[in-house]
Amino acid sequence: MDPAWRTLAEFNLPSQPGNEKIAMARVALLIEPFNLKESLVERIKTAVAEATMNAMEHGNHYQADVPVQISLDASKSKLRVKIEDQGVGPRRQTPEIPDLDAKLAGLQSPRGWGLFLIRSMVDELIVTTGDGFHRLELIFNLIGKRS
Amino acid sequence: MNQPKVMLAVQSPNDLTRVIKIKGEINSQAEAPLMEAYAEASAQGVRAIILDFSDLEYMNSSGIGLLVTLLIRANRQRQKLMACGLSAHYQQIFELTRLNEAIAIFPDEKAAVAAASL
Repeated sequence: MDPAWRTLAEFNLPSQPGNEKIAMARVALLIEPFNLKESLVERIKTAVAEATMNAMEHGNHYQADVPVQISLDASKSKLRVKIEDQGVGPRRQTPEIPDLDAKLAGLQSPRGWGLFLIRSMVDELIVTTGDGFHRLELIFNLIGKRS
Repeated sequence: MNQPKVMLAVQSPNDLTRVIKIKGEINSQAEAPLMEAYAEASAQGVRAIILDFSDLEYMNSSGIGLLVTLLIRANRQRQKLMACGLSAHYQQIFELTRLNEAIAIFPDEKAAVAAASL
């Protein structure tokens, strides 16, 4: 059964390099009242920053006038951050799971860690692609995670 | 284009070891200064390079990619790449990416320099 979500905040950010840190800072401020353990706060911050950076870069191609939409919702047991860009068409994903040995051997690019980091930080990831939008929902369990 | 928000200083605790002190952010903008610092640290005869993250403020996936590039260069030079001063969160990221298997992690510079001398 889906939890009952309540929206805590919604905001837009221009797709400009570095604005992922604004998203990260805003979300960190918004979740302060939850008194979450520092380890979870750091996971949330990293996932939000990486997802926002992906949205600005791969979705909106760093067009400053095309915003990334971010919303923060909470239920009794979960926190959800939705990050949406206006990318059109199928999203180019990292073609393979990043593998350090393959990267050191020159078989993969040294880059390509973003989606891997997002998946590693969240408890659940929902990806939705629609008509003119691409949305990531980052979901974090809160049970037992308050300090 | 965003300017790098990182300051890097190369120190020489002994003839065989160099420490790159990192203050600020390791992201795509940090590529040029980080590679310059590595080149400066890779003087002849240097066997170990320690990345001191004690004053790291932020590192993203692009920064992880830069560390992989450094690791490739260090491997070519037969140098050990080591790290110290990582927060618990970035230690976790090192473990998730398996960077900790290739870059030995130490709690502080003193411990890293001692290990580099072995």
